[in-house]
Formats: sequence, structure tokens, C-alpha cells
Amino acid sequence: MNKKENGIFRKITGSREASLLIVLIILLALIELLQPSFLAPQNIAQIFRNNALTMLMALGMLCVMLTAGIDISITSVLAFSGMTIGLLQKYDVIHNTLLLFLIGAAIGAVCGMLNGLIISKGKVAPIICTMGFMYIWRGMAYVISNNAWASAEDVSGFSDFGKSGAPGPYIILAIAYVIFFIVMKWTRFGRRIYAVGSNAEAARISGINVDKTITLVYTIMGLLAGITGVLSVSIYGSAQPNMQYGKEMDVIAACVIGGVAMSGGRGTVVGTFMGALIIAVIAKALPLVGLDSLWQNLVKGIIILVVVILNVVTQRVMDRRALARREM
Amino acid sequence: MAGKSGRTISAEPRGTVKKLLFSWESAMVLVFLGVILLGNVISPYYTLKNVFREMPKYLSEIFIMLAMGYILVLGDIDISVGSIVCLSATLACIADNAGLPFVLVVLICILTGLACGCLNGFIASHFTELPTMIITLGTQIIFRGIAEVSLGPGGSISLQNKDAIKLLSRKIGIIPVSFFVVLVFALIFIVVLGRTTFGRKLYAIGSNSTAAKYAGIDVQKIRWIVFTVAGTMAGVCALFFLASTYGASTTTGQGFEMEVIAMCVFGGIATTGGKGKLIGGFFAAFIIVCLRIALGQINMNTQLILVIIGAMLIVSVLIPAIGNALRLARKKAEKA
Repeated sequence: MNKKENGIFRKITGSREASLLIVLIILLALIELLQPSFLAPQNIAQIFRNNALTMLMALGMLCVMLTAGIDISITSVLAFSGMTIGLLQKYDVIHNTLLLFLIGAAIGAVCGMLNGLIISKGKVAPIICTMGFMYIWRGMAYVISNNAWASAEDVSGFSDFGKSGAPGPYIILAIAYVIFFIVMKWTRFGRRIYAVGSNAEAARISGINVDKTITLVYTIMGLLAGITGVLSVSIYGSAQPNMQYGKEMDVIAACVIGGVAMSGGRGTVVGTFMGALIIAVIAKALPLVGLDSLWQNLVKGIIILVVVILNVVTQRVMDRRALARREM
Repeated sequence: MAGKSGRTISAEPRGTVKKLLFSWESAMVLVFLGVILLGNVISPYYTLKNVFREMPKYLSEIFIMLAMGYILVLGDIDISVGSIVCLSATLACIADNAGLPFVLVVLICILTGLACGCLNGFIASHFTELPTMIITLGTQIIFRGIAEVSLGPGGSISLQNKDAIKLLSRKIGIIPVSFFVVLVFALIFIVVLGRTTFGRKLYAIGSNSTAAKYAGIDVQKIRWIVFTVAGTMAGVCALFFLASTYGASTTTGQGFEMEVIAMCVFGGIATTGGKGKLIGGFFAAFIIVCLRIALGQINMNTQLILVIIGAMLIVSVLIPAIGNALRLARKKAEKA
């Protein structure tokens, strides 16, 4: 076999993103056969709008998981920041959209930085630290709002930004994905995250400030969660303290399907995007194939398990083949 | 048994008495007494009778906590237990409303949990490359998904025939039956983990699973068993949950997994495996229960308790780090 051919072939079959793309294309083709209007721009736009929150937070979760961490406090941070800006409008303090986004982002960044500092300086397991803050920020969202909502009238002017048909959510998503794609691929900071994730000790020895990198990664995650909180209020037109409860698992699931390894060091922005998109497309397509939306979670769970198990099986086959080749 | 306790307060406790006094577990007892004192100060209704009356609705989670302690000692994690509670409770309700005898309902409830746990354990022991977090993330969504499908569009179900299940919510004197059941289970779990070869094997696997394997321990079989036990305990939890709520919905058991992990960690069991005692988790569970009852009695915003639990969790895991920092600073000062 030609060596170059072998290389290209390997690159395509070995690349997670390529196989995800193939899965996505097959999926879309099948759905399009069943329901020819599925790929209409309007429908696609709706898919992105419905899943904008998960897609946005998946970027931060990618960075966190690259450092072999996890953050389950994100939806609580989201609720806290969303509730805060909801209340700011309810009591007519601030109505400026940009300012509200900045406030939400700042709240998120502070929450994230606390996570990062405790995890890096205090050497606390990420799941435990973020679990603590999961309770704290969710509780704070209830406490500041006194269990009340910020209703649709309260946030009426602001929700124009994210209402159906408005470009707001798409712009934020596009900007975030472009920035993260560039940062993770071509900047020193992005490569440092990969270095810390694949081997923290080696990274430390080669002069990377591991603690600082980890703190920054969680701060970014918090920042994104804060922005997502504001976006959520704008998309759904109300703020309540229990918003997006339990949805952090969806974000993690999107990353896992997208090929981000929980042990750190492996995963890309493109893969994460496709992981989130595959979940979104399936959720949207279930009613078309005659399954009630009640089945959504069941199917999603099965897909997650099948994907990760398939991954293990193919890895085993590849390892065995590599071993056999060496023995020859 | 040096190094068995998850966290120690003093640097190197020397004597046995000192060791006992400065262990994480004895600190838990102090906090427990503190909470009871607090309850008595802030609420005039904080009597033994009232506390026991309000206890049953919080007790059911402790069943899962016991098994979660085992899983954490192994160095694994199981975030699907909340969904197992949901599925078990749902199926038990459906069976009960279909008119099946109560014994069969109990069996369905517990066996559902067992089957779910067995599936978790099967995947965890046959695909060892996968972190258990991912596996149970998948099954968490699946189990709740099955419950959602069987509950139908309404999303909730309530027991039509409550007579039989009320047996479980009866009281002996002022003490609810479930309290005794929890005590019996806790005793069994604590003794098995602390005093039997099986328990020692769990610590061996948790500290170094490769070494445990070469020492002749069937690591994967034990992991499978422990996950199955965790599922079964989730089924037991579902049973007692039904005895205090008489119904199930799609949100039943949501967040249970995090609450029981929080109890374990607060009780000194490390999530990295191989460290901690179950008795600590047991005290932590009762600290949280008693605190909830006390704050509930003075009509405090029920969600504020979340903030307090979260803060307690973070402070408790930060204590060793702070202790280390102080010790380092002291050493530096001595050198200078």
C-alpha cells in the first residue's frame, strides 16, 4: 500500500470529527427522506435556537474536560446570573441589553474563578467543589428572588434580543465558536490547556503554570455559563430560579458524544459542536419518525452509551491490530 | 489501620486516644451535637417527638448513601441512582395500581433497582476503559427515560391503594419504622466495609486497583457486585420514598445522587477512592437531616438550606488543604 494513501486513509478513519460528520450526514439524509422539509432553513434555525444554551456551555465544558476536570455547577451559575439580571429589570434598575450581558458575564466569571481557585489551590476534586457551588448558586438564585419569577412583562424589552426570529442567539453562538476554534487550535493558551490535560506533571516541568491555567479554564466556563444565563432569560422571556435544572448533564453528554475524553487532553471544538448538534437533531427528529417526544431522553441515553462503548471497542480492535503488526 | 480515615485534622496523631479524638468522624459527632443544640436554640418545637415525626421524608436517601460510600471507596461514582429511584417508584406504583399483591409490588420495586444496578455494573466491569461517570451519565438518562415513557404524557402517578404501603410509615412509640430499618442497614454496611475481607478488598481496589488485581482480588467482579448493591439500595430507597409521598413523577429522585455523594464526602469519604469510613457518612447524613428539620421549623426559606449544605461541603473539603498550608508555613517559620 502507498504510504501516503495509508496516511490519508488513517487520518479520515482515525479522526473523531470525520466519523461524527459521517454519522450526522447519514442521520440528516435519513430524516430528510422521511420528512423532506426537515432541512428547511427555518427548521435548522429553530434547532440552533432551541439548543443554543447547551451549545454555548459545551465550549466551556470542553476546556474544563480537557484539563481532566468537570463542572456541574454551570446550570446553577446560569440560574444565578439569569435571575440577577431578571430582577435588575423587574425593579427597573437596568434595561440596557449590552450592560445586562456584561453583568451576567461578570457574575459568571466570578463564580467560575471561585471554582478554579478552590480546585487548583485547594487541590479539591472538581466534581466535589463544583457540586458544592451547584447547591450554593442554585440556592442563592432562590434567595435573591424570594422564590418569585421575573415574568415576561418584566423582561419584555430585553427579550427582543433572543425572541424567535431575532438574530441575537445565533450571533453569540457564531462568535463564541469562532473564538474558541481559534484559541484552542492556534494560541499558546489553548495548547497549554491540552498540555495540562494530557500530562499535568510534564506541563509543570516544561514551565506551564498549571494552577493558573486551571483557574482560567474554570473562569471561562463560569463566564460562558453567566452569558448563557442572560441568553436564557432573553430566549425564554422569563427568569425563574429553577431554570435549566439538571441540564448540566446534557452539556457533558454533548461533549462526550463529541469525543471529549473525561480523562483529559482529548477533544476538539469541532467535535463538541457536532456532538451537541447530533443530540439536537435527534431530539428534533424523533416526532418525525413517529416517536413521541416522551422517548427523547431514552433515545439520547442509549445513544450516549452506544457511542462510548463503540469507541472503546474500536480502540481495542485498533490496539490489537497494532500489536499484531508489530509481532509480524 | 493507618490512613484509612479520609481526612485527618491534626497532622500526625500519635496515641490511640488522640487518634480517636482528632479523627474526622469524631469531628462529625461534634458537629452533629452542635446542630441539635442549634435546633433547640432557634426553634421551640425542636423536641425529640417532632424531629422523629418529620424524619421519614428525609430518611430514604440514607439507604443510597450507604451504597454510594462503597462505590466512592472503590474510586468509582454512580450518578444514576436518582433515576433508578424514579424508575423503581414508577414501576411499583403502576404495579400497585394494577392490583398486584403488595409483596409483589415490593419485589418489583427492589428488583427494578437491582436490574438497573446490575446493568451499570456489567458495563463498568466489561468496559473498564470507560470512567463510571460517563457510564452512569448514560444510564441516568436511560432509566429516567424509561420512567418518562411508562408514566406517559401526564408525567406523574399516585398510589390508589395506600393501605399496604402505610405499614412502612408506621411508628413504634415515637420512632418511625424506617428509622430502625435505616439503622439495621447502616450497621450491616458499616461492619461489612470496616470489618470483613470483602470490605478490605474494596479499600485495596480503591487505593490501587492494579495492585489489587495482582494480589488476586477479582476486581471486576467486586465492582459489578457493588454497583448491583447500589442499584438495589436505590430500589429500597424508592420503596420508603413511596411510603412518605404515595406517588411518583418524572422528577422523582432528581438530585438524589448529588445529595448522597455530598453526604459521603462531607463524612470524610474521598472521591479518589480507598479512603474514608462509612460511619462518617452516616453522621453527615443525620447532620443534614437534623439541620433541615430545624431550619424547616423556623420557616426559613427552604432553598437557603442548599446554600448552607453547599458551603459546608466546600469548607469540609478545604480543611485538609488549609491544614497543609498552615503546616508548611509553620515549618518554614521553624527553619527561618
